[in-house]
Amino acid sequence: MKRHRLYGLMAEFHAPADVVAAARAAHEAGYRRLDAYSPYPIEALAEALDVHHSRLPLLVLLGGAVGLVAGYGLQYWASVIEYPMNVGGRPFHSWPAFVVPSFETTILFAALTAVLGMLALNGLPEPYHPVFNVPSFALATRDRFFLCIEATDPRFDQTHTRAFLEGLAGVGPVNEVEP
Amino acid sequence: MSPRTAARLGITSEATSRGTTTDLVELRYRGRAVVAPALAVPGHPDETVTVHLGYGRTRAGRVGSGVGFDAYALRTSDAPWSGGGLEVRKTGERYTLAITQQHWSLEGRNVIRAGTRAEYDEDPHFAAHLGHKPRRELTMYPEYKYEGYAWGMAIDLNSCVGCNACVVACQAENNIPVVGKDQVARGREMHWLRVDHYYTGAMEDPDTYFAPVPCMHCEMAPCEVVCPVAATVHNEEGLNDMVYNRCVGTRYCSNNCPYKVRRFNFFLYSDWETPSLKLGRNPDVTVRSRGVMEKCTYCVQRINHARVQAKNEGRKVRDGEIQTACAQACPGHAIVFGDVNDPQSEVSRWKADPRNYGMLEELNTRPRTTYLAAVKNPNPEMPDREAASPAASHG
Amino acid sequence: MSTRPPDPHADLARDALPPPPGPELIGGDHTLASVTEKIASITLTRRTPLGWFVGFGIAFTLFMGLLWAVVNLLFVGIGVWGPNVPVGWGFDIINLVWWIGIGHAGTLISAILLLLRQQWRTSINRFAEAMTLFAVACAVFYPVFHTGRPWLAAYWLFPYPNTMGLWPQFRSPLIWDVFAISTYGLVSALFWFVGLIPDFATLRDRAKSKPWKVAYGMLAMGWRGSARHWHNYDTAYLLLAGLATPLVISVHTVVSLDFAVGIVPGWHATIFPPYFVAGAIYAGFAMVLTLAIPLRKFYGLEDFITLTHLENMAKVMLATGLIVGYGYMVEAFMAWYSANEYERFMIWNRMTGPYWPMYAALILCNVVMINTLWVKNLRTSVPYLFFISFVVSVGMWLERYVIIVTSLHRDFMPSSWGMYSGTAYDWSAFIGTIGLFLTLFFLFIRFLPVISIFEMRTILPEAEVKEDA
Repeated sequence: MKRHRLYGLMAEFHAPADVVAAARAAHEAGYRRLDAYSPYPIEALAEALDVHHSRLPLLVLLGGAVGLVAGYGLQYWASVIEYPMNVGGRPFHSWPAFVVPSFETTILFAALTAVLGMLALNGLPEPYHPVFNVPSFALATRDRFFLCIEATDPRFDQTHTRAFLEGLAGVGPVNEVEP
Repeated sequence: MSPRTAARLGITSEATSRGTTTDLVELRYRGRAVVAPALAVPGHPDETVTVHLGYGRTRAGRVGSGVGFDAYALRTSDAPWSGGGLEVRKTGERYTLAITQQHWSLEGRNVIRAGTRAEYDEDPHFAAHLGHKPRRELTMYPEYKYEGYAWGMAIDLNSCVGCNACVVACQAENNIPVVGKDQVARGREMHWLRVDHYYTGAMEDPDTYFAPVPCMHCEMAPCEVVCPVAATVHNEEGLNDMVYNRCVGTRYCSNNCPYKVRRFNFFLYSDWETPSLKLGRNPDVTVRSRGVMEKCTYCVQRINHARVQAKNEGRKVRDGEIQTACAQACPGHAIVFGDVNDPQSEVSRWKADPRNYGMLEELNTRPRTTYLAAVKNPNPEMPDREAASPAASHG
Repeated sequence: MSTRPPDPHADLARDALPPPPGPELIGGDHTLASVTEKIASITLTRRTPLGWFVGFGIAFTLFMGLLWAVVNLLFVGIGVWGPNVPVGWGFDIINLVWWIGIGHAGTLISAILLLLRQQWRTSINRFAEAMTLFAVACAVFYPVFHTGRPWLAAYWLFPYPNTMGLWPQFRSPLIWDVFAISTYGLVSALFWFVGLIPDFATLRDRAKSKPWKVAYGMLAMGWRGSARHWHNYDTAYLLLAGLATPLVISVHTVVSLDFAVGIVPGWHATIFPPYFVAGAIYAGFAMVLTLAIPLRKFYGLEDFITLTHLENMAKVMLATGLIVGYGYMVEAFMAWYSANEYERFMIWNRMTGPYWPMYAALILCNVVMINTLWVKNLRTSVPYLFFISFVVSVGMWLERYVIIVTSLHRDFMPSSWGMYSGTAYDWSAFIGTIGLFLTLFFLFIRFLPVISIFEMRTILPEAEVKEDA
């Protein structure tokens, strides 16, 4: 495997439509190890990169189910098995009452799964990433859009990829990204 | 004085959150004068003032000095008990009285049920017909079976004269703290047992009813359901147990008790310092600390003592062996306590009486403390004696 | 790979927006850069405005009142507050319900308006959700400290294994409260924090001094705006909104069940859950207005929080106020229709008994005054909206007072009837929580972006990605 002294090449754009078109073009050109950066979410951009269904909804559903079982199970176990007490003549298994905290634990566990799952699926926290080495990347959180093709992509070639990027519509400077 | 006299003199009382405020009046009698707070009491004769001797002491120790006013200042040796020619004048100042019951009207409710002899003869179950008791089967919940002892209490309203001996006995038996005038005025008296008294009918000539109100030990207690920490639960003998060391003091149980028999330690009311008080306490009963709810326990310490003794002797507890402090002290034998699972016990026989009813039964709390309705026997030849039962307006 | 035809479903994607918002949602001539700078500059400035110090100073002083009240509570006893028998709850639970209710508007704006694709939520959801968190923080003071033994209540109300083998009593609405409010606080905090992550990245990249860069950088967790990350992020954000939505309904329902499960006349009513939830949103939007109007004035954010936003909030207030008014009517009607002597007395006592001035003031604030918002001129007048927001806040406080105190002070047994009033300690605690709320809010304004920067970018016209062939 070729070792490059670069992480990749990054092109800067001013307009969101340009970066979306660029991502599409890159995908059509066969690049797969690439990522695009924007100051706000652009669905078309994710589509262009062929990023589709997130695994998160399934995880959250499972998290919620675990929460439901845990919440109801705790109440059932504590009130019926572990320490049953006659409270107001009500039955030990007071399921109408148990519904309420179970509902809350379902939402709690699902929400925790959503957040932790999102962070995990995104690999966050990730304090260091090579793209931060490009000074103008600070504008990715303001009003610039970036497309970065990584050097580990099989079709990456420093000259050809640079030419490809510089030929895209609406492109600004193309920078080398130090690893 | 009577309400009519108070109205004529422009004397008003107001129930506030800091006590009952009332007018200070100057009583001038045969050259003597004393300033005193005035209270209107239904049924008191008009144009008459009653004062009580024995207050206003100056050398009675830290508890008794400076309480009330000295009525002896008005007393003459030639007529030591009553006399005419009293002048009453408002001073313009107000005074706060600490009264534990600020409202004396029954408001047409059926918590106290009474009837005349004629009504009783016509329908011995008149008391039950003054309320709507739900059928026992009418519940979503399975019936809880009480095998073994099932403690209950019955109180005969005919016998109760409102002497408050039961209240004093309960206080002594259960280490109930004295909270002082300011706290009583704020509605924080600690008496587990209280004697409610109500006036009904015409203000000038009302009927008076007394009812001692202990904890009802409801089988479907509303207080138990709402306690977040299970500090009040039901035991197998039907007692509503109050677990002091578990109570965190949310006071939800007190809010949900329709009988308002629960008392809360808003401060550390019990004196933990004075040695003589420590000696005076009942060692069988916990002394409660700040932030904890308490209430009538059917003298559970006496129940436990008798049960243990009976078990040691290999027998069941005999009827009458357990006497709660209130039942023991009552001079009129108005309160009876025992095992309702034993059909021969006195309490079971009382509960089988047609006059038997439970307070606020329609709430389906299933109280173990029930009452025997009062039956009055007014002479029909007395003028203006419309002796209707106090809750006659309620269907 | 062959050319892919344009995705016909792209228009349905979240960011293929409807026609760009008119000037009502963003005023002035803003770009991605200017939006970022305007909001971020409040946080990153070296020169804190003098007004901020004054406001923070006042807030902090009021907060000290809370600490004074707490010390008295812990060392002297709960008796320094007003409750007695029969009125076991007073200011403590009034204020709990008031604060929690206020919090609900923030979550409605963040979550429900997001799912309903209401773009006018964008400039207000950040500080509204912050308001929710701070309101919940103020609220939780009460369940712990209104108890007689708060040092035990703080942990005995939670399910944890212990040597006593004891667990909470799950049939009690107070335990439902523990679960609901804990979940609500946590989920709101998570939702708010997740929304802040991209903005922390913005601040990290804008910050001038190294310590701030590091601080914001740690909070941003390395966010870089990657499209792959945005995809998961968007999904998580929508899921959290979907989860927070039932919370808006359920949490105040659970709080209302504190009363509705009780047998006290005036509490035991099935109208309570919807009536309380509507009331919560009503009070919450009032507080959002109370905060939004000075905020936009003093920080020059009128372009982002426009008259359209204020008017929309006023409309929501009017709608929920009508529901609350309906709740009052139903309560009164049902009390009469039930022919239950205790219920009938309860409503009669509310209207004519010793606390009738509170009831009259309540009707004036919540039923009479709110209907002035039908008038467009009043609804679009900023000073009037500011005034009305206070009227509603007071009205909702009075509502809880009336519900709690008048129902408890005269219930079943006339011999137990009593009166209640708040003590100086009650007031100092309440004002102290207001101080706490404002203290937290001032800190929020100073150190965090008050408007969601990345979401504001999405509603700019230049942010739109047109799906042409």
